[in-house]
Amino acid sequence: MSVKPSPKLRPSGYDALVALAVVALAAALGFWMWRGGTQQGLTAVILVDGERVEQVALRELDHPEERTLTAGGYTLHLRLFPDGAEMESADCPTQDCVHTGRITRSGQSIVCLPGRVIVRLEGAAVNDGGPDIVIG
Amino acid sequence: MKLTTKQLTLCAVLTAMALALSYLENFFPLSLAIPIPGIKLGLANVVTLFALYALGPAQALLILLARCFLGAVFAGNMSALIFSLLGGVSAMAVMILLSRLGGLSVYGVSVGGAAAHSCGQVAAAVLTLGNTAPVFYLPVLLLVSLFTGALTGLIAVCLFRALDHTDLMKA
Repeated sequence: MSVKPSPKLRPSGYDALVALAVVALAAALGFWMWRGGTQQGLTAVILVDGERVEQVALRELDHPEERTLTAGGYTLHLRLFPDGAEMESADCPTQDCVHTGRITRSGQSIVCLPGRVIVRLEGAAVNDGGPDIVIG
Repeated sequence: MKLTTKQLTLCAVLTAMALALSYLENFFPLSLAIPIPGIKLGLANVVTLFALYALGPAQALLILLARCFLGAVFAGNMSALIFSLLGGVSAMAVMILLSRLGGLSVYGVSVGGAAAHSCGQVAAAVLTLGNTAPVFYLPVLLLVSLFTGALTGLIAVCLFRALDHTDLMKA
């Protein structure tokens, strides 16, 4: 623990291996998260401090709706659209949730860390094992 | 751990520099270009990287812990401590490991550390929120860490070159 490594100042081929490993990890994670994404039958799930406070079936919206969320001492204005959701404004210090923009695929989230708010899009279940339609 | 006066002074100066760099990077908000919670240049990692090679892992860890605790105290935001601690300790662990592998330059070690820092911060966000939603940001954070890691590596290399003729590296 106390032995100091000596710094090598010129880039080497091994550095490229580290960069490749990081790219591979990012690509694998990205693929894993996006492969199940859908834009059909979206539901916006709103969580505040870990609690599910509301879920909205977006396809049932005729026009954009707004929700005002108060969490962690901050006020956030969320807009829900038939095809997604976006944080219109927030008075939190980082504004990352506002800069995230509109999310439109299942699996995507808007996270406000200071307010501990998560807006997550969930897609319709592709196959629940049940019948598609019952007639007669 | 027994420190000489010179080592103790260096640790104190480097801790102060790391805190100043952490504050300084608030003026270059990377999140304006890439809107992801917690994304930043990680300039303070230059100090961690420098301390790892100039003073050794034990003192580098000491500086890192002091920077995390004092940064949270000065910011008056103790809830941020878990983010800086998990990110910083993950980066440190990976950088210690990579610096010992041989063959890797400061750039490779820095990129590995930056990627580990992103993983640590996402883990802190998952723990804080009690939800895995922040993992959604990890692929982008990892790709950004290639650039931030290379940048901090470049600054550290310039520092090592500039200080090569001094006896600082033999502290």
